[in-house]
Amino acid sequence: MEVNETTVVMETAEAGADVAVAPASSVVSPIIVPSTGWSAADPAAYNGGRPPTITHLAQLELEPKGDNGRWGALDVIPTKADYLLDYLRANSLWPLLSGLACCAMEMMSAATSVNDMDRFNMFPFRASPRQADVLIVAGTLTTKMAGPLIRLWEQMPEPKWCVAMGDCTCSGGRYKRSYATVEGIDRVMPVDVYIPGCPPRPEGLIYGMLKLQQLIVGRRGQWADRRVGPTVPAGV
Amino acid sequence: MTTEHTRIRSLDDPHIFVDTPATIYDAVPPYPPTTEREAEFYSLQDGEMLINLGPQHPSTHGVLRVVLKIDGERVVDLDPVLGYLHRGVEKICENGDWHHAISNCDPLEYIASMFSEAIPVLVAEKLLDLEVPRRADYIRVLAWELNRISSHALFIGWLALDLGGLTPILYGFIERDEIVEMLAALTGQKLLFNYLRIGGVNGDLNHEFLSRLGDWMGRAGQRIEMQQKLINENEIFVRRTRNLGTVDRETALRMCLTGPPLRATGIPYDVRRAHPYSVYPELDFEIPTRTEGDSWARYMLHIDEIKQSLHIIDQVLHQIPDGPIMAKLPRLLRVPPGRAWIAFESPRGQYGAYGISDGSDQPFRLRIHDPSYFNLQTVGLVTPGHLIADTMAIMSSLDPIMGGIDK
Amino acid sequence: MGRPPGRPHRPRGRLTEAPPDQSRSRPTDTALKRRLEARLGDQLAGPVRARHDTTEIVVGPGNLAAVMRALREDPAFRFELLADLSGVDTGTVLQVVYHLWSPLTPDWLRVIADGLPREDPRVPSITFLWKGAEWGEREAYDMFGIIFEGNRDLRRIYMPPDFKGFPLRKDFLLPDDAARSPGMGVRYMEQPVAPAETRRQPVLRTSPGTGSLVAGAGHQELVAGETAAPALSQGEPGP
Repeated sequence: MEVNETTVVMETAEAGADVAVAPASSVVSPIIVPSTGWSAADPAAYNGGRPPTITHLAQLELEPKGDNGRWGALDVIPTKADYLLDYLRANSLWPLLSGLACCAMEMMSAATSVNDMDRFNMFPFRASPRQADVLIVAGTLTTKMAGPLIRLWEQMPEPKWCVAMGDCTCSGGRYKRSYATVEGIDRVMPVDVYIPGCPPRPEGLIYGMLKLQQLIVGRRGQWADRRVGPTVPAGV
Repeated sequence: MTTEHTRIRSLDDPHIFVDTPATIYDAVPPYPPTTEREAEFYSLQDGEMLINLGPQHPSTHGVLRVVLKIDGERVVDLDPVLGYLHRGVEKICENGDWHHAISNCDPLEYIASMFSEAIPVLVAEKLLDLEVPRRADYIRVLAWELNRISSHALFIGWLALDLGGLTPILYGFIERDEIVEMLAALTGQKLLFNYLRIGGVNGDLNHEFLSRLGDWMGRAGQRIEMQQKLINENEIFVRRTRNLGTVDRETALRMCLTGPPLRATGIPYDVRRAHPYSVYPELDFEIPTRTEGDSWARYMLHIDEIKQSLHIIDQVLHQIPDGPIMAKLPRLLRVPPGRAWIAFESPRGQYGAYGISDGSDQPFRLRIHDPSYFNLQTVGLVTPGHLIADTMAIMSSLDPIMGGIDK
Repeated sequence: MGRPPGRPHRPRGRLTEAPPDQSRSRPTDTALKRRLEARLGDQLAGPVRARHDTTEIVVGPGNLAAVMRALREDPAFRFELLADLSGVDTGTVLQVVYHLWSPLTPDWLRVIADGLPREDPRVPSITFLWKGAEWGEREAYDMFGIIFEGNRDLRRIYMPPDFKGFPLRKDFLLPDDAARSPGMGVRYMEQPVAPAETRRQPVLRTSPGTGSLVAGAGHQELVAGETAAPALSQGEPGP
């Protein structure tokens, strides 16, 4: 099987990311079954995959601002207003309806009467990515679905967060060695919260979402660089 | 700020579409049509349009993509695109044990997971020619019927949700949550139970499960009544499902339909009676059928089936014998060589599995036939002529679950 | 696992079943067997077998259309319900297996279209009898590369249209098999050698890609000594 360009790019990116600990074992690179069905968003310049072609936005992108230059000419960012904005965002997270597989059942169960996510102001599952804040990827990501999912992620406007729900999205799960799945969505999009479980209980999902709220409030407007790439060492 | 992007360009401008190159995920494939049907579908007449009902949509059946060819609001033709959840289960089963296949096959029908676990279990038992203890058989039937009720309650909810009614799904999830909590008391898991074993079941009935079951049985009938009363006589629901997606008997057989869509056309084919397995021969239940064959009939049939399932659970609880719950089997299970076909009735239809064993402990081939796979082809047959909004109504009434369809 | 690492999954025993007289379930329908032999005898490629509750006939790909039509339309058979259509890779040849149900007999009927060569597996399509078989045939094409002549829509259904290779064939190896990764199981962990140093078994050489198939199909070309994964870099030997 030829090692095509996509595989090489991904391996280099993983080797270059500082999240990987230098492995002591002899298995150096993860086994990736290359798929020609999709190509990952470029992890090195993650701001939506493709460079923007609308020129005035491109100029804003080039300016060195903290959150993608949204504040424009405002160089002075009031700290209290930032905190308040994050507080508002955290308490009004609108998830995107992106249930892929079994974890979607538990996500729906978390949203309905018995385990009510509406208590945490997270009930409106928006069908359109333009209106959603958080992408809860619930279910196995296959190579065929990876393209549309990345497109959904890119269509979501900032600020946005991603929650990997279930074992299949965290690491590939029980389908890690399959020919048609992506081993963890962190290979294709930056993940903020990982919720393991197969499937995680609805209480687990709610706990993960509360952690996300803490994360948002705790960041106080400064978002860490979000990397695409597995956060486990390359040798594992 | 330049105005390059705002000046008027002609359609002949070569740069106008360069920013969004077509990929294989766009409605019109970027390669020339490779089959007759593709050529016929992707060539548009005057006034027609291709629209993508993409893999992510608010209808909660999973990642199904349907390319609709529409003329105004009417659907002229449609082409479902599957595979967005294809996880390679059959290949993974070939690489593991027969026991591993139980948990590998679990997520196929993820709402009614006991049925999907039954695939490797029943195939291996047939290859081994194994007799399962009667108590284990009764517990299996109990678990199966509970799963059937929970799946049908969700079906009612999802059908209403796809038509715009947001309340019945909440009732459906209350039912489903109660049932899976009691099954969690029995199996330890809420969704992918991993409970059936080759030769029996994993654990015996315990007090927690039985007390929850008793509580629930007392209320179940009323609750289901309450849920369906919301929509049975609702005029909008009735007008949107009557005479919608009608399938007649001959077409149903030609399209290889099984399950409620087949019984709604009048053919009383239910695997529990046509090829009895487990302890179904000893249980007394009817096979509800309807004759209209439209979405309304399929919906009413699901309600009839819930009532039959409650009746079956009642009998099981009265007739369940004492005894072991697991047959004696060696740890390293070498299944004798052979071929076996099993079929059983899941909430969606006739689940089939064809297993080939080569004498080792690994399946040589475990073919899984999910009923929603063949059932979903009917959507392409009955939807043309209806409106776009009816597409989801028809698809919901056929009750597809993408886990099983895409394997 | 029951299989040493690195080898493709070949059948270790026979694929035929044990003699049928030890079956615990009810005896099979001998009347059906006689009817099949009487009406279809000359078109069958093997004896009519029966085990448990399934009667099985084997046909060659040329006779398949006539046999299926007879099974469906002959009033003595009336096998109206097609329960399943699947492909099988026996390691040497490919097969297509159909399961049918009839109201006239308590048995299932299994029809095996055997003897399809790996390079060019062609079988007549039965979509003229059962329209619902179209997707079953698409899946068998997608997973095995079997061409159903007469199917109007033979394209890939599960994998993306530009996918190369046929996943369920026995020479399509998962990374598990090819790279002897930790996903293999207990036996691997017991081996004292590092994966880069284990003896590489020669991998099955596949037939040249069948360029005539649609959507750019072709098997992975593997030669002896290569593995189907990107080359592992040589690391230090394990403990």
